[in-house]
Amino acid sequence: MSKLAVVGESQRRPDMPGKVSGRAQYAGDLSLPGMLHAKTKRSNVAHARIKRIDATRALAYDGVKAVLTHHDVPRVLHYGSPHPRSASVTRDQYILDSKVRYWGESVAVVAAVSEEIAEEALDLIEVEYEELPALLSVDQALSSSVKIHDLRNDNLVVDPVTVRRGDVEEGFGEADVILEGTYTMGRPTPAYMEPNVCVSQWSEERLTMWISTQTPFMVRGILAEVLGLPLTKVRVLVDHMGGGFGAKQDLFQSEFLCALLAKKTGRPVRMEFTRKETFLGGRSRHPGTVWLKQGFRSDGTITARQARITFNSGAYGSHAPGVTAVGTTALTSLYRCDNVLLEGSAVYTNTPIAGAYRGYGVVQTYYALDIQMDEAAEKLGMDPAELKLRNAVREGDLSPSGHPIVGHGLEDCIRRGILETDWKKRNRPHLASSEKPLRRGWGMGCEMHGSSAYPGIKEQGNATVRMNDDGTAQLFTGTTGLGTGAHTALAQVVAEELGLRFEDVSVVHGDTDVVPWDIGAFASHTTYMGGRAAQMAAAEVKKRMLAIAAEALEASAQDLEVRQGIVSVKGSDRRISVRDAVGPKLGLPTPQLIASATYKPTKSYSFAAHFVEVQVDTETGQIDVLQVIPVHEIGRVIHPVAAAGQIEGGIQQGIGHMLTEDYVIDPQTGRSLNAGFVDYKMPLSMDMPPIRTILLETAPDPGGPFGAKGVGEDPIIAIGPAIANAVYNAIGVRFRHYPITPEDVLNGLRQKEKH
Amino acid sequence: MKKISLTLNGEKRELELEPWRSLLDALRNEAGLTGTKKGCDVGDCGACTVLVDGKPLNSCLMLGVEADGHEVVTIEGIEHPLQEQFIRLGGAQCGFCTPGMIVMAKALLDENPNPSEDEIRFGIAGNICRCTGYTKIVEAIQAAAEEMRK
Repeated sequence: MSKLAVVGESQRRPDMPGKVSGRAQYAGDLSLPGMLHAKTKRSNVAHARIKRIDATRALAYDGVKAVLTHHDVPRVLHYGSPHPRSASVTRDQYILDSKVRYWGESVAVVAAVSEEIAEEALDLIEVEYEELPALLSVDQALSSSVKIHDLRNDNLVVDPVTVRRGDVEEGFGEADVILEGTYTMGRPTPAYMEPNVCVSQWSEERLTMWISTQTPFMVRGILAEVLGLPLTKVRVLVDHMGGGFGAKQDLFQSEFLCALLAKKTGRPVRMEFTRKETFLGGRSRHPGTVWLKQGFRSDGTITARQARITFNSGAYGSHAPGVTAVGTTALTSLYRCDNVLLEGSAVYTNTPIAGAYRGYGVVQTYYALDIQMDEAAEKLGMDPAELKLRNAVREGDLSPSGHPIVGHGLEDCIRRGILETDWKKRNRPHLASSEKPLRRGWGMGCEMHGSSAYPGIKEQGNATVRMNDDGTAQLFTGTTGLGTGAHTALAQVVAEELGLRFEDVSVVHGDTDVVPWDIGAFASHTTYMGGRAAQMAAAEVKKRMLAIAAEALEASAQDLEVRQGIVSVKGSDRRISVRDAVGPKLGLPTPQLIASATYKPTKSYSFAAHFVEVQVDTETGQIDVLQVIPVHEIGRVIHPVAAAGQIEGGIQQGIGHMLTEDYVIDPQTGRSLNAGFVDYKMPLSMDMPPIRTILLETAPDPGGPFGAKGVGEDPIIAIGPAIANAVYNAIGVRFRHYPITPEDVLNGLRQKEKH
Repeated sequence: MKKISLTLNGEKRELELEPWRSLLDALRNEAGLTGTKKGCDVGDCGACTVLVDGKPLNSCLMLGVEADGHEVVTIEGIEHPLQEQFIRLGGAQCGFCTPGMIVMAKALLDENPNPSEDEIRFGIAGNICRCTGYTKIVEAIQAAAEEMRK
């Protein structure tokens, strides 16, 4: 790939100096004069009607300024996640309802002069519940006549998704080997470090909201809609935010409540979740099951694939329709198969809400697919990497979104990983090799993931670029900075396109009154889509700038090139700096050099193959990941350090999913059992293995800026099956679920001995 | 309310606190130093790490009044090669764990200027980062240590 001047170098990220010095401002750091603090009372039953709720005593408590219950808030049915009327999300929530659908749901909110007083006042709110049967599992919800919502006559979130290609019966008829299994997924949560927080302030009937969100324009839209305001009366501000990983696309009811409390009291109100509340009122990945059946010819060709996917959405729909559609259709691809029949559904239960989380349904379905490929390889007597290579999707194949795949990214990742790991030597069964308690094994897993949410959402990226009279430029973008470095990447794209130095471009973001509309930072699309829009706007500004420079240089614009802020006539020594070209001269102000662009992408796919070595202690059941070699094909790499950082962080979360992370709900009461970092165990610095990240640029996508594609979600997908397959390689016990706990390992070894 | 006096980032300060106020809240609210972050408020995540008399601790687990007469250093009071290495090598992403991480890393390097990778990982084991997988944090601490030994 051709070398570029600014893109491809790990430029110094402008968000970093503030972050390493404590100067970076997060929404929770804001303090306004007269600011009140709000706290939510949460239910202690999983399913009930509220017979009576009385806030009299709380209101009389010294320091309390307002209390809201379902009696006091507008009753507007609204989307849980404010995507623009897409089929990805459901419209099934009220700000506060007279019914409680999970243990921990908000029933009332208090604003007081301090957090402590607000907290104490919660105990003074009297609630009488009429309990309803709690449907705490998918099976209970599907077999019960009790309905969690009144919007349908069953407990499904939406009609099931069916995807059919070819004829599976015929395909299975042609198979020499058929595999079938059910794979079960736990309930990991994103566990971003910054608890949800917002601050609301009204002035002249106008609401300003400082908030930690991935989707400020969606927050603005839904607040305006539910509160009955025009968009000019709601301003949403988000500067730095402490992670989101998908989940902070939703509204958490706290935003409405905070705004209403501020309105009622006439004072600014701050509302911050405790860590416990990020579990109770947050969003998890969808737990679920995948029943998967595949047929193979003896040469390894896949003849048919059939699957039934069932996701547990929890008490509200949130992203269940989108997750179900994306997770289900993902199974049409990764490994070629002409005969496919897939059914995906999502079920309401009286448990905490599952929502969007990095990997969006694909983590679950590719976990099943990639483990079954490992099982098939053993049955066929093939190397699993060879089997995957034989079936890997290639240039021109139909992708899950219906678009032809560009390039041979998956193949390239697998081949490179085979080379890097000396795979043929690594992937020998270690089963009989040793009676030692510590057994080692290797495994590999693959994935592909789309940049952008198309076709679920027909997205659009917007950008405005303005050149200043000193030759510097500013990008106005609505994209949000979750910490990925996306704003740096966007500035690199603009600098590259304009021929400026990186430090001559700044990024304006975070204020819905100022920047162009943006759908939000999710679906691995910020660099791909926002970056392409920025590139297009920059190209237009460059055209106008060159026209001015052409006059000054007495040359034709098409004979000019611009590098490092200097415009020169190709093949001559005539040159002028951009600054001199566009600057004011002889009493003439600088011409207005500003351009906007809109980009409506379809989709591109990034690919990865992860190679993993594990060690299993057969006496304690402990699984340690010893090393990970992730090979990612992501098109043009814009900022290598930031891209690798995404991959390493995704692997960390993926290792957590596989080994320790599971948000547990009591099957009897629906109560949360481990809503905190002591009991919800995430990998810490000592748990993380060395990661040797390899970035490939072999299948750039013409739809992204300079051929760039997404990277945020990819790394969390392939690591899971790679670990499960490595554990099998180490001890010969096949696990078809996550997390795989030490107890599971010991039970599995015991079972194996019996046979 | 109780009045305390302490040395905060090298300056003598007097603060008025409720006696049950954590040092973390006192720093963020009373002293206006919001660089120190609240990730859990129960001592699990390390985002609120500060130095008290040179020793790192979770400021959410100490009462503000206990800091009376002591020397407290927060991220705002730190200038250290670690910061430039975190920037250069990608040791921060969302940045929320970063202040606590850098304070902890400084304490580690103050005590052990030449730590092994294992010692670094052990040193920051109480600081949760959800973005980076720790790889680049460890690299940044190693690079800062090396720079300081030069």
